[in-house]
Amino acid sequence: MRDFEELAARLAARFSSGDLNSWPDFDERAFEAFSVQYGENAPYRALCDARGIRPENLDDWRDAPLVPATAFKHMDLIVGRLSDAEAVFVTSGTTSRGVATRSAGPQDATDHGAGTRPATKVANPSRGRGRHLVRDLDLYRASLRPSIGRFLFAGLERPRMLSLIPSADQAVDSSLSFMVQTAAREFCSSVVWAVGSDGSPDPDELTRAVAADRDTPVVLVGTAFAFVHFIDRWESERSVAPRLPEGSRVMETGGFKGRSRTVTRDDLHEAIALAFGIPTDHIVNEYGMTELLSQLYEPTIEWGDAGGGVHVPPPWLAVRALDPLTLDDLGLDRDGLLAFYDLANVGSVSAILTQDVGSVGEDGIRLVGRSPGAEPRGCSLALDALLSATGASGL
Amino acid sequence: MNGRGSFEAWALPAGVAVPAGLPETISVGDSALRFLSVDAPWVEGLCTRLKENGEALRRFESDRLARILGAVGSRFLDPNDPVRREALERVSATSGLSPQMCRVVLDRMAADWCTERLRVLVADALGNATYLDRFRADTGSPVPGRRLRAMGPKLSVQVVAGSVPGVGATAMIRSLLVKGPTLIKPGLGDVVLTTLFAQALREESPTVADAVAVVYWPGGDEVTERAAVAFADVVVAYGSDATVDSIRTLAPVTARFHAYHHRISVGLVGRGALREARVSRTCADVAHAVAFFDQRGCVSPSVIYVEDGGEVSPADFARRLAGAFSAVERELPSGALDAREAGAVHQARALSDMMAATGNGVEVHREESALWTVIFDPSAAFAPGGVGRLVRVKPVHDIRSAPGLLGAFGAHLQTAAATGIGACADELLEALATVGVSRIVPFTDMAFPPPWWKHDGQSPLAPFVRWVETTGLGDEAL
Repeated sequence: MRDFEELAARLAARFSSGDLNSWPDFDERAFEAFSVQYGENAPYRALCDARGIRPENLDDWRDAPLVPATAFKHMDLIVGRLSDAEAVFVTSGTTSRGVATRSAGPQDATDHGAGTRPATKVANPSRGRGRHLVRDLDLYRASLRPSIGRFLFAGLERPRMLSLIPSADQAVDSSLSFMVQTAAREFCSSVVWAVGSDGSPDPDELTRAVAADRDTPVVLVGTAFAFVHFIDRWESERSVAPRLPEGSRVMETGGFKGRSRTVTRDDLHEAIALAFGIPTDHIVNEYGMTELLSQLYEPTIEWGDAGGGVHVPPPWLAVRALDPLTLDDLGLDRDGLLAFYDLANVGSVSAILTQDVGSVGEDGIRLVGRSPGAEPRGCSLALDALLSATGASGL
Repeated sequence: MNGRGSFEAWALPAGVAVPAGLPETISVGDSALRFLSVDAPWVEGLCTRLKENGEALRRFESDRLARILGAVGSRFLDPNDPVRREALERVSATSGLSPQMCRVVLDRMAADWCTERLRVLVADALGNATYLDRFRADTGSPVPGRRLRAMGPKLSVQVVAGSVPGVGATAMIRSLLVKGPTLIKPGLGDVVLTTLFAQALREESPTVADAVAVVYWPGGDEVTERAAVAFADVVVAYGSDATVDSIRTLAPVTARFHAYHHRISVGLVGRGALREARVSRTCADVAHAVAFFDQRGCVSPSVIYVEDGGEVSPADFARRLAGAFSAVERELPSGALDAREAGAVHQARALSDMMAATGNGVEVHREESALWTVIFDPSAAFAPGGVGRLVRVKPVHDIRSAPGLLGAFGAHLQTAAATGIGACADELLEALATVGVSRIVPFTDMAFPPPWWKHDGQSPLAPFVRWVETTGLGDEAL
């Protein structure tokens, strides 16, 4: 049985090398991660035992039992003891972090929450909100830097960061805040958290921060919903968004689940481009979720607008599209339920089944939104309830 | 496409031209639907025409309307009628339900569209159908000297979301029965039956058909929806809470707005139904109640509370219920789930597997080749949400404790099915009524409420009717 710390240290070193080319040894590392998780993650081991799958008989990481993303709402999935967690990231019912796809509006199930305290005290799982117990924050830092560095910051010389997302100090249980703060420290000369004391984005603070320096390019990050909200507000007040300095970029993340207004990805990016005076190929969508410590990005900075609608995973995150009925692997370019195998998740569980639908191509994944105006097909609470987790229930 | 090509998903009053924009095509299941590219000015014109045509509709005696609509409904039951044949073929292709299920659904729905049943609906809702035709004495009321007249809307606009076949046609019938012209926006999976009903109505009575429009547009088109409801004096919205809420904000303040928002239903199985001699019947009834409409209905149960201490334990009941689902699967096969629905089923199944594996008493029963799932869950907390025939069996020590577990969901409760509750029936009925349930029936009646049911707590015609009263103007006053 592999020791977690030894494997985590090796993976962290490998992530930190910034190598975003393919990993020929992914299969071996994936097997090691499975061994560690089987060995020390009790609920996962129980699932594997029930399926008769053990490190000794696992021939292919693709056969590792998949944990449904909803399981994070109901059980603590950590390698080791609860007290080993260095942080607890909580999914938020309000700050959804899927993507507005090209074809449509809301994505479900993906969110990167806004949060609580590091895990000094870990009691029963919070019901209704998922939580990801993170064993090793250094590993998370190491895994998040290369992708955001390549897909958002490439070619920028110490830009300023303006964030509509609360800092990690303000939202201590948000994996998104942690990610943004880490990236700001790594890549930026300064950061302004344009966020009110209640954690909501503050447009006036944003306007002031932009005015303070009209020369240095900025990287503006926020949730899709925040951008829509600001643009609507500026429109209704007949005021204008602050024009960003030449060379500035925007990262937006998150869908519109539970929001009154949904906007397609292309409409949103056009509106952001118009409002802030930047080209659409300087706007990047990030796709991530609290349950996955790795993120995927649109490669618009590298590929131009052709990168819109494509999300590129790092090489340590394998993505498969599965037949929605049988869960068989669909191979390339066919829409199915997305399943991930994330080596950055070595401290919890790597094999995760989501409810997101998309296809896997040679160059990245393509998420499928609901068709415009699509409704759940019944008059019962069925699907929404299953998707959004039932507060008091055991299941 | 069943060799019939795409389906034109609209029905308009005579003389209303289709809008200038080319119809759009949308793939639904194995079929293609063409729907009109509508805009606000066109919708306004349509609504104006419907209101004008309401004048001719109001000249019909109410009983004649019941006969006309009943004659149309009966055609959907006649195996030799081409309308029924087309409905069976196309509904199956567009609703996602299996052909066997479509046949049952059409049989049960259309049986409720027959004249006699519609007469009962009107008489039950109004006391007497002729209130719709003239002022008449309010006999039987303790109020002295009052005469009443029931007026239908000048125009009802009904936005129906979802894919439960027959809901759109039923909505149409309700408005027409009280002489109200109606614009129906059907749910995507219910476009076919709604449109076919309107087309068959034209063959029966062009005048009545001229008071109906069936037009589909993608939901959430605020400009179109605002234009549609602006002319209505009655607005009825079916669908998710979010959909209903968005229509509500668009409706004019003077319109009567009626919401059929999301609902959830529950089943209660008492010890009386757990006797060996009876339990297989109980399981079959429960499985059918879940399976009808592939659990899409607001009357479909997602949780079955089963009383401890009977001849068959709740856990054993869950195992036997799984057997019943397997049998129902052969009789009424599941339809196709879309990817997200299937994803939700996998999440629930896999989560239950994990819970079962970690030893908290959960047991999961399913068939790899089918989509039904029975989850035995010792936690009694209510869990809404079933999709594709996914039901949770939860034990309760005393069936009388079940209503107390529903409290948090009271505003969304619809039907409770009960069986084997014996001596505690009255107490249970009171408790269910108090917690928010509006209909309590046996499992066998659960999925198909009759036309006169108190739909979400009131007569289905109530939203459409405006009562006019007159007093003190008898012969002597004139």
